[in-house]
Amino acid sequence: MYAGFLASAASSGTDLANASAWAVFLVGAAMILTGAFGVILLRNPVHCALMLVITLFGIALEFIDQSADFLAAVQIIVYAGAIVILFLFVIMFLGVDRREAAGPEATKFQKPIALILGAVSLVEILILSQVDHWVSGAPSVAGRLDGPGENVQKLGQSIYTRYLLPFEMTAALLVIAVVAAVVLSRRQQPGASELRAADKEKLVVGPGGAE
Amino acid sequence: MIGLLADVVGRVSDQATTSTTTIPVPCSISSGGAKITSVCSDTNSLHISVAYRSILPVLVLVIGALALLAISAVLPKRSRPGLYALLTVAIGGLALIASVWQWSDIGNINAHVPAGAQAALNYRLAHQLTIGQQVFYDRFSVLFMALVSVATILGAMTTDSYLRREGLDGVEAYVLMLMAGTGAMLMAASAGLIMLFLGLEIMSISLYVMAAYHRRRTQSGEAGLKYFVLGAFSSAIFLYGVALVYGATGSTQFLEMANFLGANSLSHNGILLAGMALLIVGLGFKVAAVPFHFWTPDVYQGSPTPFAGYMAAVAKAAGFAGLLRVLDMGLSTQQANWRPAIWLMAVLTLLVGSVMAIAQRDLKRMLAYSSISQAGYVLVGLQAASSTGTAGALFYLFTYTFIIMGTFAIISIIQGRGEARNDLGAVRGLAKRRPLLAAVLLVFLLAQAGVPFTTGFLAKFYVIQAAVQSGQYVLAIIAMLSAAIAAFFYLRVALLMYGTEGEAVAGAPGVSGGAGVSGGAGAGDGSILAGLQPIPSLDGATATATLLDPPAVDEKVRLPVAVALGICAAFTIAAGLSSPMIDFARHATTLFNLK
Amino acid sequence: MDDAPFRPWLAVAVGGGSNITYVEQYLPILLLMVVVGAFAGGSVAGSRLLGPKRPTGAKEGPYESGIAPRYGPAARFPVRFYLVAMIFIIFDIEVVFLYPWAVMYRQLGVFGLSEMAAFAVVVFIAFAYMVSNGALDWGPHQKRGVPATDQLTRSTTSTVRRVPRPHELLLGVGPISMEDYPEPEEPAAQPAPSP
Repeated sequence: MYAGFLASAASSGTDLANASAWAVFLVGAAMILTGAFGVILLRNPVHCALMLVITLFGIALEFIDQSADFLAAVQIIVYAGAIVILFLFVIMFLGVDRREAAGPEATKFQKPIALILGAVSLVEILILSQVDHWVSGAPSVAGRLDGPGENVQKLGQSIYTRYLLPFEMTAALLVIAVVAAVVLSRRQQPGASELRAADKEKLVVGPGGAE
Repeated sequence: MIGLLADVVGRVSDQATTSTTTIPVPCSISSGGAKITSVCSDTNSLHISVAYRSILPVLVLVIGALALLAISAVLPKRSRPGLYALLTVAIGGLALIASVWQWSDIGNINAHVPAGAQAALNYRLAHQLTIGQQVFYDRFSVLFMALVSVATILGAMTTDSYLRREGLDGVEAYVLMLMAGTGAMLMAASAGLIMLFLGLEIMSISLYVMAAYHRRRTQSGEAGLKYFVLGAFSSAIFLYGVALVYGATGSTQFLEMANFLGANSLSHNGILLAGMALLIVGLGFKVAAVPFHFWTPDVYQGSPTPFAGYMAAVAKAAGFAGLLRVLDMGLSTQQANWRPAIWLMAVLTLLVGSVMAIAQRDLKRMLAYSSISQAGYVLVGLQAASSTGTAGALFYLFTYTFIIMGTFAIISIIQGRGEARNDLGAVRGLAKRRPLLAAVLLVFLLAQAGVPFTTGFLAKFYVIQAAVQSGQYVLAIIAMLSAAIAAFFYLRVALLMYGTEGEAVAGAPGVSGGAGVSGGAGAGDGSILAGLQPIPSLDGATATATLLDPPAVDEKVRLPVAVALGICAAFTIAAGLSSPMIDFARHATTLFNLK
Repeated sequence: MDDAPFRPWLAVAVGGGSNITYVEQYLPILLLMVVVGAFAGGSVAGSRLLGPKRPTGAKEGPYESGIAPRYGPAARFPVRFYLVAMIFIIFDIEVVFLYPWAVMYRQLGVFGLSEMAAFAVVVFIAFAYMVSNGALDWGPHQKRGVPATDQLTRSTTSTVRRVPRPHELLLGVGPISMEDYPEPEEPAAQPAPSP
């Protein structure tokens, strides 16, 4: 089928490139929309998280369509891999079987407001997409995209030479994440004296007082 | 750790001889080059020179934090309670020594600046824009590195006794403190928006966790959550601003941005203005400037008290360092656009901070609003957009570090175990119980109120002077007015401390106006406007009752805390009498207004 | 031009050929995904179509050491497992940085190697710290060196009594539902059983 498609478009290489780029875009957009609707419509939170994976894969596909190989790889490695894993962990902590009962006031105003805001931002994007003069600045630092070398090579060169210090400091960020996870997930062991202190606090500070 | 081996193995190339007008980019892809390997044809290998001297205090803090982690991984749990605090003080001391050395090293660099504007510029770019041009090696950076080192030392001294009293584990607190300091230093030294953002994140994420560190106090977890949610939001806003400014100027480096904006006048500068506004909002959140201050009272109230002091000192200083770098360097040509915005922010911050602080019944909340009001004075210095104003702002931030950390250290003593007493009544009669402690607290309160012969007075004087010099008379008058309003609540605490039992009941304004004022506070408190549920606190009746209660807490002062308080008080008085600090601050503005 | 249908396969062989379009580079990955999907879907469909289906209660119920389960499967697990997720995340992020480094490895040379070594050392210290804090201690919290105590509640009679009768199994009575019994405590929150 692909060969037939090729043969029909063989007259011009650019047509083929455009057609395949369009096909990739459409498939990616379909995946993004399917996943997004799945996330908000499905009942089971685990299924929602898995639908998010489809959305993220679709975004990776769009990145590929934009010649951003590295971003596509990161999208899959970090977001579809790590972040969704974290989501699943959080869902497991809170209990898979528990359904959050939305309060009456939440349902009354939330839906119309969400619809209005969504429509407003859609209109906004459409208007902004018609505005010219987006970028008035100088050419970017890392070189032209169609210049020598591939995307990932340029990124690698930037990260490991010019942005060496930010790169190394990212390791510090990871260390902080680790320490934070250990601190916040540590078990609470209230000692006897602590309980008394807590009681005392409760006695001194009256609950429910508006300041 | 930054490529430690790289220095040994990699060839350290000196860029001093480069003499182009544009800022030299080592090993960049030239548009005509065919292959990447041919770009650095002289070595056939990509590398940059790593000037470790320019980030020496940062390295000390990072390696120190990693060493603490490694030690804690090897040692059995809870083996030595004071060990980590001691090590942290030592690390902070090393960082302080390193920054003092840096100061003199930059003096050497300054002494050899060649004659001629272009040659001098090239010389400075080669020597003071280091590590892939991500970091400025100037006295501005070094001053903030010294500030953060001092704050880390003081913070470690006061944290130890707090953690022991509350029965919390140690090492993570110090690691997070060191990491937050690292982020703050990087923010101050950043030469571009990317480095600035990374420093901001390193500092902020550490501070979120520090706010939630007291796991048994619900308020602490709540403070951490609020700080995290709002802080992440503001980080996202900042990042959006970075993207827009990059789109408008084509660079994230401050000097390149300034070059571009100086050479080109943008016909459509909407993107630039929007980006600038978002950057100001993002950083304004970190320094707790009105109207981005809503998180401050809740977070300061809930956080462990010594950490609240560290936050007030370091996060504010680093946020202002970022604002100064962005506005005074990167967007220095856009002064006509950002100065009115900063003017408005300064006025709001001064007035809202002072007025809201009067209505507070909680000591930490009061200090939170007070710190908002103090940020207003730094904004006044920033708004002047002159080297006098910048020097004033730097002086303000440096002296405020000592004042606020000392104040929070005293509060952490008198609040008792479990942070039982944070209300104003806790200080009543303090002069009788602990005269020395009361005297030290009085010094800090007077300094914050701006009474002469303290650093607080000089600091306010310098920023207001800068405002007058740049013709901002209205702003100067508002700043003085705000100081007069703020004096009221500082002196109220002083009266409570020194009043006798009967006087305190009848005469202290906090008691007589208790119910009415706190009712007004409930209506006007910004956290309600922001949709936040304020932490349940005292209502009017309870406030009066607790003011009458005699405090019954253990107010034992441990030696490290006493030393820290002594340092803070001595600096506040000594530097307030005759201060070489303002000269340091003036020296720290040398790389600014670089054209 | 006549080799056009084979261009994707050339891309595989040459590793990013000269004149194929950009998106075509990803065609092998697409084909691989199709094959993976077909294999997974085919396996499930095949076993469903071909395999015999005679469900009974005993077969449907979850297997628990030969004992009919008394509680529903644990819905939550202790927050300490979050540390395992954190370990995964930090090494995941490291992989992200390894990717462009690997592409530029030859150009970066020893300089790049030392950079990456410094990064890896920092991450490894964080890892060691996590492990020392029990990130890899799986299962319920237990003190080391304390001998396992006999659980008096779990004797032969109590175990045997929990097994359903054969007729219950034939009727298709599955595991007892969660609503009938309170949820057990979180394993980590329970102290070690005292003798």
